[in-house]
Formats: sequence, structure tokens, C-alpha cells
Amino acid sequence: MSLKYFTIEERLNANAWDVDIHRPHIKIKDPDKCRTCEKKPCTYMCPAKCYVQQGDYVVLSTEACVECGTCRVVCPHGAIEWNYPRSGMGIWYRFT
Amino acid sequence: MKFDVAVVGAGPAGLAAAYRLASSGFKVVVLERGREPGAKELYGGRIYAYWLDKYLPEFRKDAPVDRWVRKERVSFLTEDKALTVELAITQKEKTSFVVPLVSFVSWLSKLVQGAGVKIVTEVTVDALVKDEKGKITGVQSGSDVLQAEYVIDAEGVNRLLLERAGIVKKLEPELVAVGVKEVLKFENKKVLEERLGLDEDEGLAWALAGYPTEYLPGGGFIYTYKDSLALGVVVYLKNWEKLKTPVYDLVEKLRLHPYIAPLVKGATLQEYGGHMTPVAGINMSPPRYYYDGLLIVGDAAGFLLHTGVLIRGVDFAIASGVLAAEAIKEARSPSAEDLAIYEKKLRESFVLQQLEKFRSADRLLSDESLFRDLALLSTEAAYRYFNIDHNQRTLFEAVREASKKTRVNMLKIMINMIRMLRSL
Repeated sequence: MSLKYFTIEERLNANAWDVDIHRPHIKIKDPDKCRTCEKKPCTYMCPAKCYVQQGDYVVLSTEACVECGTCRVVCPHGAIEWNYPRSGMGIWYRFT
Repeated sequence: MKFDVAVVGAGPAGLAAAYRLASSGFKVVVLERGREPGAKELYGGRIYAYWLDKYLPEFRKDAPVDRWVRKERVSFLTEDKALTVELAITQKEKTSFVVPLVSFVSWLSKLVQGAGVKIVTEVTVDALVKDEKGKITGVQSGSDVLQAEYVIDAEGVNRLLLERAGIVKKLEPELVAVGVKEVLKFENKKVLEERLGLDEDEGLAWALAGYPTEYLPGGGFIYTYKDSLALGVVVYLKNWEKLKTPVYDLVEKLRLHPYIAPLVKGATLQEYGGHMTPVAGINMSPPRYYYDGLLIVGDAAGFLLHTGVLIRGVDFAIASGVLAAEAIKEARSPSAEDLAIYEKKLRESFVLQQLEKFRSADRLLSDESLFRDLALLSTEAAYRYFNIDHNQRTLFEAVREASKKTRVNMLKIMINMIRMLRSL
């Protein structure tokens, strides 16, 4: 049985969004904390792969965020500022 | 404009509360941050009907139901084996059903609007508003403040507003799991039914332990919608360090597992999502469920019962919403003293009685070796029992050999099975 593996990008493309490009709802408050964070759980536990390690740092892109809130809970340094997106913005589930 | 009651969140809990209040003449507004009710909501896939008959009997009339569950399947899954138990109910029972939460919530929101509730979408509430005495007097969104005699917090598992109001601490990883879910659509419902072994319109609820979470606490699930299915994996946040696969790829690994892949072959991905779910039950509850001017319902209050295979959120959410409404109807004022009746109602109802009863389930379910041991030992033992070579084994021999091979301690697993019998 060989089925095609869907990359996370392909999977996220199935979704509907209204991206808030002007004001991201998540921010890394202190990037230096990420630099010294040994294990970087956000890069592992975000279902939408919003957090990617680049060198010692973590790069966050919130466009494909599914708003689960996991990153804020697993961050051992409290370095993530997390808000609900502004009115109507963000993920729009239609089939779940 | 002043409302009697402002409800934050158009989920099952908030809408149920709004419905009951409006039906008794209260002026109610529901504030929802999504484009439409349900836009931000995600669950596994099943709703239990028993308590809905008491708390929301209207659902029997015209709520959307994709399939009534008549097959309960549980599997222990490893890399190359699966051991599956199935309960098939041949009567046309209607005790639990599968439906997209979005569809159910959409139906509920129309019922609620019909009762006179104003649902305002695309409004993100930023904070609960307090007066100088600490009474919650309304909610704030951006620079707008909406006053209300009572506020019902139905904001869901993240409960940022409760945190900002100083009512709860930041969520700890021990209290929650993350669920990742794919909705896979088939060419038509016949294909789905044939693949899953279902009669027409029959529903399947399937829990899978072991492989889906790399043998860590949590599990996989499959629920059958009308012509699509929900496939997902739930992982406890506290175990993240032991995961070898990032959480976004776990669900794909499950889809491509040789036991699952033939079932979903050809199905297209309709949606991909993630959501947190309370796993600690009542241990996640805020210090109280009522404050001056405020009641807390649904996931925000930790009202989700989780015993591994059985997961109940929506019926608990709806009941808590209805009980909050009843409490407000009976309270003489919005003081915490008068609203204490909400907690009394919760304690007299199944909501807190059942959550109390299964209070210790989480301790067992978050035991890191429980599912690993069960999945490895049971599949290996079954394999040795069914695989005939020069020596046909007795059941005991099969288990003993499996225990040796998998290095799962038999005494430990027996103790854990007794714990399971008692607490799950």
C-alpha cells in the first residue's frame, strides 16, 4: 500500500483562513530566550509547524496557525505572547 | 446597550446557556470571535445523546446527525500488528452520534437565535471587565465595553480571559493534550461504508492506542461522518520530550500505517486542524465555577470527561451551560453568594458527579508505560497464539513468550489492568 505523504504545507492548504497580516496574534516576546532554549518544544508541538528553528533562533510565522494554543503551554520560558486573533481573523473550520 | 447576560463564545456550552436564558425572557448576547459559530471549534467527532435528552431535547427533532454509532472499535496498534476489539450493536440504537461539530453548532446557533438571542460574530473579547469591588460587569473588545448584569465565560480550553482576570493560572502542560485531526473525504458514502465495514448510515467510533502516539499517553481516533471520516491523534503535552516525530506528522504517519492506509486510500484531505483538549478532568477546574457576576462553563471550566476510550465534551458542555442558565434564573442578584447555586446544581448533576467519579483516571492514563506495555504485549501475545508452528501454544505460553520478547513485566501489567478496571 503506497499512499502519498502529504506535507504539512499541503495539508494546511486545505484550510480556509483570513490572515491578519497587519497584527499577528502571536509574538515571541524575547527571541533571546529561544536562542538559549535547549529543546525548543514549539518546533515539535505546533500542529501547523509555525515555529521553525533557524540556527539557534526560532522563526515564527503565524499565517497558518490553527489557534490551538499549544505553543504557549509548552514553552518552558514563557517567551510566547498569545492572543486570540482579532475579530473574525484566523482559521475558519468548516468540516471538523 | 445593556444586556442581562453576555456569553463569551458560541460553542455548545455558551449557546446552551443562551438558549435557556432567552427562553425565560432574559436579554442575551453571545459574542463569537469566529466568522460563524463553530469556525474556531474542533473535536474528535462524537456526541453522546443520553443527557442531551434531558438538557437539550430539541436535538432529537432536527439536529444534524451524520451517523449514529453502532460500532465501537478499539485497537492496540504497533509498527506491524494490530489487535482490534469491536462491539457491534445490531439494534438501531441512538445513543451517540457522529457529526462535524461545526454542523451541530450551526444548528444550535439557529435554535438559539430563534429564541431571541443576539449572536454577534467576528468579535474577539479581550478581557472581562471588573468594577472597583471586583464584580465582573461586562466584557471588553478592543476599545468597546459591553455591560451585562451576568457574564458567562464559555471561551473554551485556552481560557485567556480567566487568566487575565486572575482567576486561573496559566495552563500547565499536565492539564491538556493537543489533538491533530484530518478530515478525509471519500468519493461517496458507499465507498466509506464498504471500507469500514458499515451498513448504510451506520456509524463507527474507533480508538487506537500505541503506535499513533509512539506509545506515549494519548491515542489515535477515527470517526465516520456521512461521506468523510475524521482521523486524528491526541498527545499529552507533558510528554512532548519523548516524541520522536513532530506532532504535525503523527497523524500522517497514522494515515499511512499499513493497517489504516487501505481504508483511506483515495480519500482527499478536506481539512486539517489542531485543538487542545482538557485531559485532567476536574483537576483542571478553576478554584470556583462562580464569581461576582461571572459563571464558567464548558472546556474553560474543565468539563470534559476522558477515560481513554470514552471522551465526552459536548454533553458536559451543554449541561453546564443549561445549569448556568438555571442558576442565573434562580439567583436574586449577580453576587457570588447568590450564584453559588450554580456549583450546587453542578454537584447535584452528572457533570460534577461523573467528573468526581473518574478523578483518578488521568493519573493512570498519563502513566507513560501503560499503553506501551498493553499494545506491545497484547499484539505480540495474540500473534504467538494464532501463529502455528511446531508447537501450538496455550494462551499462557503465548503471553509468557510475548512478555519475554517485549520485556513487558507481567506483574506490572496485571496491576495496571486492575487499576484500569477500577478507574476507567
